[in-house]
Amino acid sequence: MKLGILYSGGKDSSLALMKAQKYHDVVCLITVVSENKESFMFHTPNIDITLLQSQSMGIPLVRVVSKGEKEIELSDLKKAIQEAVQRFKIEGVVSGAVRSTYQASRVQRICHELDLWCFNPLWLLDQVELLYELLEKGIHAIISGVFAEPLDESFLGKEIDKEMIVKLSKQQNPAGEGGEIETTVLDAPIFKKRIMITDSKIDYARFAGTFSILDAKLEDK
Amino acid sequence: MILIINVCKDKLSEMEFVRPLAMLIEDHVIVHYSRVKLVDRKAAEKIIIAGTALKDFDYLEGKFSWLKKTRRPVLGICAGAQVIAKEFGLKLEDFALIGPQKVEVVKENRLAEGVFNAYFLNTKIVAGCEPLAMSNGKPCLFRIAEKEIYGCLFHPEVLNENIILNFIQ
Repeated sequence: MKLGILYSGGKDSSLALMKAQKYHDVVCLITVVSENKESFMFHTPNIDITLLQSQSMGIPLVRVVSKGEKEIELSDLKKAIQEAVQRFKIEGVVSGAVRSTYQASRVQRICHELDLWCFNPLWLLDQVELLYELLEKGIHAIISGVFAEPLDESFLGKEIDKEMIVKLSKQQNPAGEGGEIETTVLDAPIFKKRIMITDSKIDYARFAGTFSILDAKLEDK
Repeated sequence: MILIINVCKDKLSEMEFVRPLAMLIEDHVIVHYSRVKLVDRKAAEKIIIAGTALKDFDYLEGKFSWLKKTRRPVLGICAGAQVIAKEFGLKLEDFALIGPQKVEVVKENRLAEGVFNAYFLNTKIVAGCEPLAMSNGKPCLFRIAEKEIYGCLFHPEVLNENIILNFIQ
């Protein structure tokens, strides 16, 4: 089956992509770029990195910019999926939803309206198990956003390795299911080239901060 | 041992609808509905028929006639509830419920009580059953008369794990 994946460039959508590829042909990445920092659905630091990720994986990107107003952004997502259906003949959509019934049910509704299959291969996966699976699968992700105490500036830009998983495991939501962390994937077995960050900046105050990639390039592995 | 019957047509759906149940139940065996044998059912203390993707209806063509003969308690979740309804001559009607919805228990039972939120992912409801719980004016939890066979149209593994634990206890 030809599938499109809702791709934010983070750990969850990258892991979901690898799981989906085991059984199906993932023919496009679908990214909604939200201009609203408060968006429950789509806001992700470094969303523009999906352009490089798409290039590295050799999977085309369907990219839609949304003002991120509640519910209107859902029609923007629907438009993006419709574009993927038209351009790539997808029959279904994959998401990296783990726990959020808010996000999952909205994607399910859109797929139902468009008569598409909807797959959520990480659904209800244990969060610590999810983090270790990243390592097992060779997914290299960095923390690109922290949004809850006690996660501080020291986490920003750091790779999720064993040591980091031990630290994150102490949190209520180790994999950031409550929006505590956001991540950016720089390399994975599905990447033909790894992403090299050449310029970045950190913005941080009172347990909320982002690691923004200002410039990056692909380099041979 | 709890037998979890997988009704998914697609392997990718199993991660979403079968694995979460398996995570909740320590002693379990998973068998696809197309391969369930008498020996599997006899070895089980109880049986759970899992759900599947919204676009998947292949299970409705499956052979579940054993449901009428089994003495094992059965819990059908979403697609599994539809299978039970079909086998016991209840009518399936088109009615989509997707996402968290309020559920109210209307008849005392050993699985659930009170009012709670539950996660729905279904496009069909069961008519003509005696409801144990209702949502949006429709039955969402029912029991086949005089049997320990339950149909649950929402997914208790998402927000109401206690329903599954109450069933397997």
